[in-house]
Amino acid sequence: MRAMVVCRQRMFFAILGFLLIYAVLIFRVFDLCLADGLKLPSLDDEAVQKHANAVMPIARADIVDRNGTVLATSLPTVNLYANPKNVRHPEEVAEQLTLLFPEIGYDELLAKLTRPKTSFSLIKYNLSPAQQSAVNNLGIPALEFQNSEKRVYPHNNLFSHVLGYTNIDNLGLAGLEKSMHKRLTESTKPLELTIDLGIQDTIREELLKAVKKFKAEGATAILLDVNTGGVIAMVSVPDFNPNQNIPVGDRSLFNFATQGVYEAGSVFKTFNTALGLESGKVKVSDKFDATKPIKIQGLTVSDFKGENRWLSVGEILIYSSNIGSAQLVSRVGREAQRKFLQNMGFSEPLSKFEISEKARPLFLSEKRWRDDTMATVSYGYGISVTPLHLISAFAALMNGGIYRYPHILKNADVPAPRRVISEKTSVAMRPLLRDVVLYGSAKKANIEGYPVAGKTGTANKLVNGHYVEKKVMTSFISAFPFENPQYALLVVMDEPKGSKETWGYVTSGWNAAPTGGNIIKEIAPQLNIPAEFDLESQRKHIQKTAHIR
Amino acid sequence: MINTKTAISALWITLTCFVCFGTFVLKNRVHELETELTRLNTGIQNDVKAIHVLKAEWSHLNSPARLRQLAEEHISLSKARPEQIINLSALPFNHEEGGVESASQNQDLGNYKRLVKAER
Repeated sequence: MRAMVVCRQRMFFAILGFLLIYAVLIFRVFDLCLADGLKLPSLDDEAVQKHANAVMPIARADIVDRNGTVLATSLPTVNLYANPKNVRHPEEVAEQLTLLFPEIGYDELLAKLTRPKTSFSLIKYNLSPAQQSAVNNLGIPALEFQNSEKRVYPHNNLFSHVLGYTNIDNLGLAGLEKSMHKRLTESTKPLELTIDLGIQDTIREELLKAVKKFKAEGATAILLDVNTGGVIAMVSVPDFNPNQNIPVGDRSLFNFATQGVYEAGSVFKTFNTALGLESGKVKVSDKFDATKPIKIQGLTVSDFKGENRWLSVGEILIYSSNIGSAQLVSRVGREAQRKFLQNMGFSEPLSKFEISEKARPLFLSEKRWRDDTMATVSYGYGISVTPLHLISAFAALMNGGIYRYPHILKNADVPAPRRVISEKTSVAMRPLLRDVVLYGSAKKANIEGYPVAGKTGTANKLVNGHYVEKKVMTSFISAFPFENPQYALLVVMDEPKGSKETWGYVTSGWNAAPTGGNIIKEIAPQLNIPAEFDLESQRKHIQKTAHIR
Repeated sequence: MINTKTAISALWITLTCFVCFGTFVLKNRVHELETELTRLNTGIQNDVKAIHVLKAEWSHLNSPARLRQLAEEHISLSKARPEQIINLSALPFNHEEGGVESASQNQDLGNYKRLVKAER
């Protein structure tokens, strides 16, 4: 009986032992098989990242135009670096590398390869695939690659001032690259602009031609959609190639369109006329005495080519009469004038405009805004603004009276549109400016098929505090088609020279206006604006040009 | 009694064996799939990169300056001028009979003028 009990006890312990062993084995099996799966995945986990890495391998977002064409992009490249601790024969390696990169030079390479106390010595940024494969073929274990990217601008000079550029570490240093740096690095979604590649190119070509023809120091052109405030094209010349070394302290870096604060001259008469009509104190049919120069607080206002007679409101614009403009504004008064121009956005920099380079206009304080200021401002002296200020305000005169903040991003964050003049005034302004193109100083901008309304302006440049007679800034501001304007174009030329063809004249009607006309002729078909021809002129034109074809 | 116990033990042992085998097969399969996933991800990554580079190249090749130069070299077309664009209703209807001039002497004159007016 006792032996039986002992036997049972022994059996029990033996079974228990075996069970324990099995339990350990089973636990181990489950542990091995399922341990990975039982762990909760965390985002830092390399394994999880592997699952989610089918994303954009490029860190800096592209910039595209309104049709989705790439204007700025980053290409994957590699940087070459050496681990000096592993370089066995630095002289030999330096010699081999000199053959591949002659621009670095043997001495510099040797210094880089033998730099003490470091395991990372950068040899060259952004290798091309061919260079990478050549370095690989050397078979030197101390040379290693680091993934990197390089910013490229496929259209070279075309968008230099709009896009700006980055440094070698992809930090935005100018233009949209600078102002939008955060957005470009936070999201890889392309940044969409309101710019149109084709239009921008056409305008730049015409502008370059004009600068060459009139030997101007520089020029700028801005095309604005008057119903949205979106910038379709913005060109300043001279410009630079952001793919190459950036020139230092050069005029080509200067964004004339947003930084060029200048006295615009007679184009301001459009704002003056709008002010008069809007105030209700001036009617389109009113006439003003422009028979002789007038004196205001010691200032003599005279006309460039005086008509010496009474002029209607329309004629003041057609003949660009300073006397008439000063007479007109004197009915409205200087406080109302200053307030009106302030409302047009001329007193403040366009700080919400996305490009980083901007300038503050020169707008006199209320105390210094005297009666003589009122007179000079009426024809565009004594107030300095940028071309972007001018075109934005002009668009408001043309589009029915609503000021829309200029912007260049498709999803722009800008102040809401606001009414600055009545629709009635805006509608009344259009035929007045059409007459300037038909009969006035902007005749050379009158192109067949597209009715343009516009105004020229020529202002002497201030050099060392004195106005210089032969150095001028010429402007042509325009909108088309004039009955229902959709686009506004501003062309400004800096110091155009007279030539035989212009009879020595340097005024806007001889350079900026024909350039503006040429631009509109080229871009209007691209903008899908139907040409308006009556059959008579069409027939005459066919007869006139039949022998040419 | 003993038979029942033996049967239960045998069942458990068999089940354990099956579970072990099943788990190993599963683990193996997951390994294979993960390798495949990594391979596919690398492929996608490379393709995305290549497409990105191609897009940049496409934009470069499509640059208006280059196209203009090629067009001047290879095709004898020039840009459309505004006067070449005309609406259908502004065309004279009897063009084949004698061109634009005779249209004004034609009896359809009234009809034709009305259309031109409407076009304006």
